[in-house]
Amino acid sequence: MLKNLRVTTSKYIDETSRISFKFNGKAYFGYKGDTLASALLANDVHLVGRSFKYHRPRGIMTSGSEEPNAIVQVNNNTALTEPNVRATELEIYHGLEATSQNCWPSVHFDIGGINNFLSPLLPAGFYYKTFMWPANFWEKYEYVIRHSAGLGKSPTEPDPDIYDHKYIHCDVLVIGAGISGIIAAKTAAKNNLKTLLLDEKNEIGGSTIYQNSEHVKINDQNSSTWLENEISELRNIKNLEIKTRTSVAAYHGYNYLLARENLTDHLPKNEKNKKIRQRLLKIRAKKVIVATGSLERPLVFNNNDRPGIMLSSAVKKYADYYGVATGQKNIFFTNNDTAYESAISLNKKGIKVKAIIDIREQSNTAFTKEAENLGIKVYRSHTVVNTEGYKKINKITIMELSRDGQSFASPEKIELDCDCLAITGGWTPAVHLFTQSGGKLKFREKDQVFIPDIYPSNQISIGSSNGDFELDDIIKNSTKSLKEFLNINETEFDNLEINCPKDNQIRTIWLLPSDKVLGKTKPFVDYQNDATAKDIKLALKEGFKSIEHVKRYTTTGMGTDQGKLGNMHALGIIADTADIKVGELGTTTFRPPYTPLTFGTMVGRNVGEYFDVFRRTPMNDWHIKNKAEFENVGQWKRAWYYPKNDETMHDAVQRESKAARDSAGILDASTLGKIDIQGTDASEFLNRVYTNAWSKLAIGKCRYGLMLNEDGMVYDDGVTTRLDENHYIMTTTTGGAANVLGKLEDYLQTEWPELDVYLSSVTDHYATASICGPNSKKILNKLIPDLDLSDESFPHMSFSNAKIDNIKCRIMRISFTGEHSYEINIQANYGEDLWKKCMEAGEEFNITPYGTETMHLLRAEKGFIIVGQDTDGTMTPIDLQMDWIVSKKKYDFIGKRSLYRSDTMKEDRKQLVGLVTDNPTEVLEEGAQIVATINQTPVEMLGHVTSSYYSPNLNKSIALAVVRGGKNMLGQKLFIPMEGKNINVTIVDPVFFDKENVRLNV
Amino acid sequence: MFNYKTSIKGNITYSDLTIEEFKPIMKLIIRGKTKDFITAIGKNLNMVLPTEANTSTSAEKLTAFWLSPDEWMLISNETVSEDSNTYQVEDELIKNISKVKLGAVTDVSDQFVMLNIKGSKVFDLFATGSPFNFNEFKNKKGSVVQTILFHIDVIVHLTEINEVNLFVRRSFSEHLHSWLNDSASRL
Repeated sequence: MLKNLRVTTSKYIDETSRISFKFNGKAYFGYKGDTLASALLANDVHLVGRSFKYHRPRGIMTSGSEEPNAIVQVNNNTALTEPNVRATELEIYHGLEATSQNCWPSVHFDIGGINNFLSPLLPAGFYYKTFMWPANFWEKYEYVIRHSAGLGKSPTEPDPDIYDHKYIHCDVLVIGAGISGIIAAKTAAKNNLKTLLLDEKNEIGGSTIYQNSEHVKINDQNSSTWLENEISELRNIKNLEIKTRTSVAAYHGYNYLLARENLTDHLPKNEKNKKIRQRLLKIRAKKVIVATGSLERPLVFNNNDRPGIMLSSAVKKYADYYGVATGQKNIFFTNNDTAYESAISLNKKGIKVKAIIDIREQSNTAFTKEAENLGIKVYRSHTVVNTEGYKKINKITIMELSRDGQSFASPEKIELDCDCLAITGGWTPAVHLFTQSGGKLKFREKDQVFIPDIYPSNQISIGSSNGDFELDDIIKNSTKSLKEFLNINETEFDNLEINCPKDNQIRTIWLLPSDKVLGKTKPFVDYQNDATAKDIKLALKEGFKSIEHVKRYTTTGMGTDQGKLGNMHALGIIADTADIKVGELGTTTFRPPYTPLTFGTMVGRNVGEYFDVFRRTPMNDWHIKNKAEFENVGQWKRAWYYPKNDETMHDAVQRESKAARDSAGILDASTLGKIDIQGTDASEFLNRVYTNAWSKLAIGKCRYGLMLNEDGMVYDDGVTTRLDENHYIMTTTTGGAANVLGKLEDYLQTEWPELDVYLSSVTDHYATASICGPNSKKILNKLIPDLDLSDESFPHMSFSNAKIDNIKCRIMRISFTGEHSYEINIQANYGEDLWKKCMEAGEEFNITPYGTETMHLLRAEKGFIIVGQDTDGTMTPIDLQMDWIVSKKKYDFIGKRSLYRSDTMKEDRKQLVGLVTDNPTEVLEEGAQIVATINQTPVEMLGHVTSSYYSPNLNKSIALAVVRGGKNMLGQKLFIPMEGKNINVTIVDPVFFDKENVRLNV
Repeated sequence: MFNYKTSIKGNITYSDLTIEEFKPIMKLIIRGKTKDFITAIGKNLNMVLPTEANTSTSAEKLTAFWLSPDEWMLISNETVSEDSNTYQVEDELIKNISKVKLGAVTDVSDQFVMLNIKGSKVFDLFATGSPFNFNEFKNKKGSVVQTILFHIDVIVHLTEINEVNLFVRRSFSEHLHSWLNDSASRL
């Protein structure tokens, strides 16, 4: 029979809405408003997992995002599975199935528990000293290590959930909706500032909304009642947007923050469908107010990790907020007064508090007095030296501390039965986001806390995240800071009457003494990674001094909780051991995310078809309809080849290539960059950006141009046409278009502002159909009968304006294939129809559409380079045997100076050559390395193959390659070593076909 | 006759949001730096070009967007014929601006697709994919901005409160349209 530890109703739990869920295969129920943790505790389930290294039984320790132990696998063995979910944050819903992690076969009986007994062999850093012998066993060790690593299991199927992003701009962002955050948000919004208030919990109000102490009053009301009234007013304030279940993950520079908004994780399965699961908020705020509160510290003592050992504030929250008793024989162990408030609260609900163990000698505040008045036994100057109970705590042993707190006043031990030990070691301000943003901390000795000191601009911290722990300090200091920060004179909170206990004295002992030697104890500092105080001292002994090294050597603070509970203790133990001040040590670097983010949240809708942006040509639909296979060229989808009747790519390309040279081919060339250039200095501009000369290019003529970077290396090429006296159109490579335009515009604006030149991109404005082959002229003649296509009127490398059915177009007679060729440029929305008209006109000539693969082959037959294929940013024009295109007369052009560096003038640079194979049917692999000798080690690599095809027009394989000193090696035989064979090749002229260019005029 | 075919296949309609392509719209890029250029434009078009960044001006037949200190886009306020790509305005400007060396005139009618987006959720839609702060923009009719939407460069012009014309390069338009539909479906 399941025990029910729900002892009281709570307005935050809807007991009319019963929810059934499963944990480790067993059915339980809870209520709407419960987290998995509160529901399990209500069912008296404490054992929820096993620790990482020692597989020690672990229970729920906290009530929030700092939870180290109660991390579970949700929806195991489904596409929705998620590892390492904190049970303290997971709101239960109908159908929830969660399982413990890091245990097999079950959390109650775990084979890995043997590690606990082997723990002397597994101290921090043991893996640096083991698994080395014998060396050939390493792969066996690796297999075991890999299977032991991690806690939860990654999903193996695609995530079916939908995630999204949202950009938000606001005047003021308030992070944290506890009492100080609510004051800040209300103040900002009522002063007409667009305000966004975020909180990671499902209800706002922090811990104050369930505070029910007689000793804490605001304007004579209970603090919780006062705050509830403020919250109800918040909803009606214009300018204020509140988001709950939203955790700020990262605080970047200039007030750019990322937050994760959970939208459906708390909903029943049938209500989640097709809704956004989580959303990444990308927030840009003019001002940020950090009100992230503070995290309770545990205490570090022997066996401080058993199920049933919990933070005192968590025990209070489970009782006051969730109405759940975490135990029936509760004991509190403390170094400050907050445990007394928790104990009193439990007592008032009828939950038994057996004792309070207080390491301080005395405390005389309202809380301590009330606790004693209620008859709760207080053991002053005592510490816990041991706990017992393997799967749930059942006993503690305490001893009286010496005055200095380092040993014992007497050897007497007292044993106390308990089933829940609530511990508190004070509070650590949550300064993670503050430091992520670049803020600097200072150390306050009084209560051993790091608090904000130097702020980046437009940011403040308030409340306990700023080191204020008492309510009057919180409210007074917050309002004072807000007035200055928001530049206002007064707030409605200026004259509140606040009563609260003062002088909460804290006594910090980072590592509480034990009656056993340290080596025989297990005082955990990092619960998740099983790092103990002994490990930290070992690291120091082994020479690691810096906190960053100790962290990594011991893995303290490196788990999914990022050491939220234990990092301060690690610092304290290091400081005490090394006899330095904690303030001098500093903290390790806080990095985002604050709590784990799913990949889905980070990626948003950039999945599937939206993973990358795709660009399509105007003829795209026609290509699809005609069964083209596509390839990605940058972001463009380009027709790659058009297989017919189950052709392979090779067969299709062979057919297309032959048809283009035998009769006619047509290529969609719309993707090439097109830049319109106008201005009286357009010619001069072209002279500066290309290597060759442009001033004398006649109107109506086209010229091929090569562009270099300032280092002299080729980075783009294309044909530019002179349309009119001061008007050119430049083409670029498909992939280089945006870069080229950006670079040219940059030069005009920054280097040559005196030039009268204007650039406009028209890449998308024009569709381009390129018709090539011996029958291309006949086809064009059918399309435009009135256009004079004679070589005299329309020679190669010229252009003509024309009209087809009243639509203006431009026709360039240029060729990338070496065939007689025309490129028709027409406004894009007529592009598909133009293509169809070309196909219709060309039908009698067997016009064959060809794709990029055939285009590559045909140009390679002519030895034409493709920038980015045959070049890689390290080739000069001379390397490419294109000396002819480098003007000797021009005063200057981009990259000219670099061509005369000693390095670029060397004779043995890699140079473009042609390669043929001894076996003409053997096609080389692109990228294959080229060597001169085979049986030499190490072998010198002379170069590599850049382009390689089987040419149906030459009936042999051809390749372009770059080879060291290649242009002087014509006829030389070389080798291409491949796996299992060596291929013999000969260096030849890179122009394989029609070297005289006769076919241009056929 | 030529078949005029755009990249957008259909309208998008949700409650509080509709997306429709307006086409064919004449679009010209005009560029120039000098006072003479500005004067000539004013004389030829009978309108003043916007000189303040990210604003627009309108005349009876045309609207002009500021794109940069020496660059504007002119669009026709009404659709033009699908059966011709000769525009009188363009011819006039070529004659009176580029031929007399005052500046540059470039037809970009099909460079950009124009989408009209209207409804109370227009800016919720943009918030899912654009980092631009639309808080002030959305209250000032005639505002223009060049920004990114779903990784794609766009120009946005506020014509009325909760109504914009969005301009995107034709090659990106199909993909953007698909993403707009996807994002709008969850608003």
